[in-house]
Amino acid sequence: MIQLKGIFKWVNSGGNRVFLLKDINLTIKEGEFISIMGPSGSGKSTLLNVVGMLDDFNEGEYNFIGQPVHQLKEKHRAQLYKSHIGFVFQAYHLIDELTVYENIETPLLYQNVKSSERQAIVADILDRFNIVGKKDLFPAQLSGGQQQLVGVARALVAKPKLILADEPTGNLNTKQGTEIMELFKQLNEEDGVTIIQATHSEKNAAYGSKIINLLDGRVEK
Amino acid sequence: MIKNYFKIAFRNLWKNKGFSAINILGLAIGITTCLIIMLFVYNELSYDRFNVKSSRIVRVTFQGLSAGEKFNEASIMPPVAQTMKADFPEVEAATRIRDYGRPKLAYGVKSFKEDAFAYVDANFFEVFTLPLVEGDAKTALAEPNTIVITKALSQKYFGNEDPMGKVINFKEGDKAGYKVTGVIKKVPDNSHFHFDLFASMISLPESREPTWMSSNFYTYVVLRDGDDYKKLEAKLPGLVEKYIGPQMVQAMHVTLSEFRKKGNNLSFHLQRLTDIHLSTEFTNDLSRSGDVRYVYIFGAIALFMLLIACINFMNLSTAGASRRAREVGIRKVIGSLRIDLIRQFLIESVVITAFAFLLAIGLVYLALPVFNTLAGQNLTLQFADHPLLLPGLLLFVLLTGIVAGSYPAFYLSSFKPVAILKGKFVSGRKSVGLRSGLVVFQFFVSITLIVITTVVYKQLSYIQHKKLGYNKEQVMILPVWMLGKNSELFSNELVNDPRVVSSTNSGYLPAGQSDNNNFFVYPGENPDQMVKTLRYEVDEKYISTLGIQLLTGRNFSKEFASDSSAVVLNEAAAKVFGWGETAPGHSISTTNHEGKKITYHVIGIVKDFHFRSLHDLISPLVMVLAPNPGMMIVKLKTTDITSLLGDLKKRWDGLGSEEPFTYSFLDDRFKNTYQSEQKIGFILGIFAGLTIFIACLGLFGLAKFTTEQRIKEIGIRKILGASVVGIANLLSADFLKLVLLGFIASTPVAWFAMNKWLQDFAYRIDVSWWIFAFAAFTALAIALITVSFQAVKAAFANPVKSLRTE
Repeated sequence: MIQLKGIFKWVNSGGNRVFLLKDINLTIKEGEFISIMGPSGSGKSTLLNVVGMLDDFNEGEYNFIGQPVHQLKEKHRAQLYKSHIGFVFQAYHLIDELTVYENIETPLLYQNVKSSERQAIVADILDRFNIVGKKDLFPAQLSGGQQQLVGVARALVAKPKLILADEPTGNLNTKQGTEIMELFKQLNEEDGVTIIQATHSEKNAAYGSKIINLLDGRVEK
Repeated sequence: MIKNYFKIAFRNLWKNKGFSAINILGLAIGITTCLIIMLFVYNELSYDRFNVKSSRIVRVTFQGLSAGEKFNEASIMPPVAQTMKADFPEVEAATRIRDYGRPKLAYGVKSFKEDAFAYVDANFFEVFTLPLVEGDAKTALAEPNTIVITKALSQKYFGNEDPMGKVINFKEGDKAGYKVTGVIKKVPDNSHFHFDLFASMISLPESREPTWMSSNFYTYVVLRDGDDYKKLEAKLPGLVEKYIGPQMVQAMHVTLSEFRKKGNNLSFHLQRLTDIHLSTEFTNDLSRSGDVRYVYIFGAIALFMLLIACINFMNLSTAGASRRAREVGIRKVIGSLRIDLIRQFLIESVVITAFAFLLAIGLVYLALPVFNTLAGQNLTLQFADHPLLLPGLLLFVLLTGIVAGSYPAFYLSSFKPVAILKGKFVSGRKSVGLRSGLVVFQFFVSITLIVITTVVYKQLSYIQHKKLGYNKEQVMILPVWMLGKNSELFSNELVNDPRVVSSTNSGYLPAGQSDNNNFFVYPGENPDQMVKTLRYEVDEKYISTLGIQLLTGRNFSKEFASDSSAVVLNEAAAKVFGWGETAPGHSISTTNHEGKKITYHVIGIVKDFHFRSLHDLISPLVMVLAPNPGMMIVKLKTTDITSLLGDLKKRWDGLGSEEPFTYSFLDDRFKNTYQSEQKIGFILGIFAGLTIFIACLGLFGLAKFTTEQRIKEIGIRKILGASVVGIANLLSADFLKLVLLGFIASTPVAWFAMNKWLQDFAYRIDVSWWIFAFAAFTALAIALITVSFQAVKAAFANPVKSLRTE
């Protein structure tokens, strides 16, 4: 599903080239649950952003379900990730002005899904995540765990093949964190969604079927 | 999708209520002024365009220079119309108006004094588009003693009866009656003439006189389609040669070339019908005309106000971008394209503009009556009258919204999602520079307006307090000539009233409408030193009643029989004759209209007094002793003006006069002389205030957002030991720099503009440095109050709170 070949990413700082990613070679198959581990600044988020097509890279090849991402134009790339990738963030990143229902609905709006269909899909997912009673609340009225739940629901609503989660439990307490991780596991096993998560915690990393260790932009081992 | 955009727009507006209020209010004020001024400008420019042939109609005018005096007349000689029609093939038709003043008319027992009576040629209603609701436009005025009237006038005389065929008579004189042969609805407000009665020209013998020496006829010419009036105008000098020349020899015994050799000149000109209303050059035009300068000044102000309001909008939106940045980032991550975001932000700005617009319409309805009073207009906002107005305004809203929203829309949608979501978002240097530029521009306009307003007010107050050389307080003017033979009776009674200090009779007044008379005099026996001076006809009490100072010599006196050939000069006249204070004892001479030499001896000099407006220098003036019963000038010593006026009215009416009792006060007349300056000063003041207000709204919003953006910096500085005052200064200083820049830019512009305006006054103030200092100080103070409110609030905030991040 994902093939990264010799990916390099760098920034120029004061005449020196600082490498954020160095020679990354990765192959991820559909249905895998990957955990990326490493200390702060090791390049976890950068790698996720590159995979999620939110960020460019300077060298190398990236193929996503058969499409050569490094050759695609901005517009096609947006089209590609819009329909295949869902994002979950450490800081949830919900839109404060929208209700729970509207937050979850928004990705469907951008994919021009018809109104009746949208209602069915959103109702379905609200039901599945047990947040029907909260659908008219605004993010500020929810706890962190509930917000992240909405974040996951929003990432899933467009039925993506891949979920990218950057420290999804970083702002949550242990109990809430465990719930989210259990949810990921269930999604991976029952629905076959591919998940890549970046994390600090050994315990959370263990949910994954494979662990990749990053240090200074390089894959360890 | 669209629904979602609107939802977001409304929620954002509601969430940032303060910000939205600032935005909407600023924009609404900008749109309101712009709309009002647009109505005004549109109305001024619409004059006479209701005439179907308006583009082909020109008015013939007469200009010249005779005996050192320029004249510029809108009415010309009776034969010009027929002559032009006969001599020039490009003239399709010519028609005339003879303004006949204010006759008293009667129908049966009903009698009214009319103030809009004119004789017009038979083809008048074919040239001007004033449709007859009754009668035939072609034939209505073909016969003598026929008349076309307005509907309102018909109602006044005949009630609901059919006016056609009824006869209206002149109350005075032995004129025959006029048969009504046509009715028009009314003359539109935006016509340069306003008559209620149009009598047939053929009834007026004067209209057939072949004289080229008297001018009473406003003459209009319709050009053939496609002919250029400039080409016709080039042929007009021929008229002067062919027709005026011979008559001049006959009447004045000089040929045209001799006349011209003395530096004199005569010429005909053409003026487009649509230019008449905005021209101010004619002394005897048909109605109060507009002033093209007002159109320019107000137009510029309207544009600036709207611009400033739009700038505010852009400034506030971009400054608020950091708030929206996260939303932009998230939306991009979950699949929004740039175009979606641009659309979303444009819709938001159109929604805001629409709100502002609704508010503005309400404000226009409230403010129009005030503006009408101030500017002497009669404007209305009538959607029914102008079918294009509403769609036009909606387009205007859409356009304003898009223009005002375009910068934020494109700027916000260009954010890189990764950078924003990582919290790395910083407002770019470029946008800070642009915003600062916009603030500088706003303050440039505001400060320029403050300076201009201050100068206008200073000049007006200078005029108000200038020593005029005569006393204008408690001086009443009574038009006693209206009493006819009873005027002496009335005057004599009043002289003995204990509330009267003194009184004098003369039609020559130093302020407001006055008689005006010039003559040519020369000192001693030197006709080559001929000077044109004003000639005032006064009595012995004129100088003392008006409190004019006698410099040397003496006033007229009844004790000197020889005073009938005496004159009193003003200083300017004494100087022109070269005598100065030694003038008494010298003599001056003039030639009367029969060619006889008349000599006067000088008995005194009065100090110069301002008998004209301060626009003009004091010119030489000669006072002669001659009875002139026109006006009674009464110096009073009473506080109870009301009871005095009551008594006077009783006496006036007791004399059996049909004229109503009227009066005026000299100081009011003086004030009215500067009415147009006063009005423009007042309006400018209002605009200056509004501009500053809008600019400050913008500044307030900007300060609020900048402070929010720098909240972390402020927190760190506080932890490192910065004081509250230090932080408040730090935040305020940036904005004050912008205000100062605006001030520097405005100085040369305002200085130049005001010096130009003051050139119109012979007596004027200097544009001194302190006016600029005052403007700068005012703007700075207002800006400081606006900004420091935010700065102090930020400085007092607890740094722990601002440094705690997500």
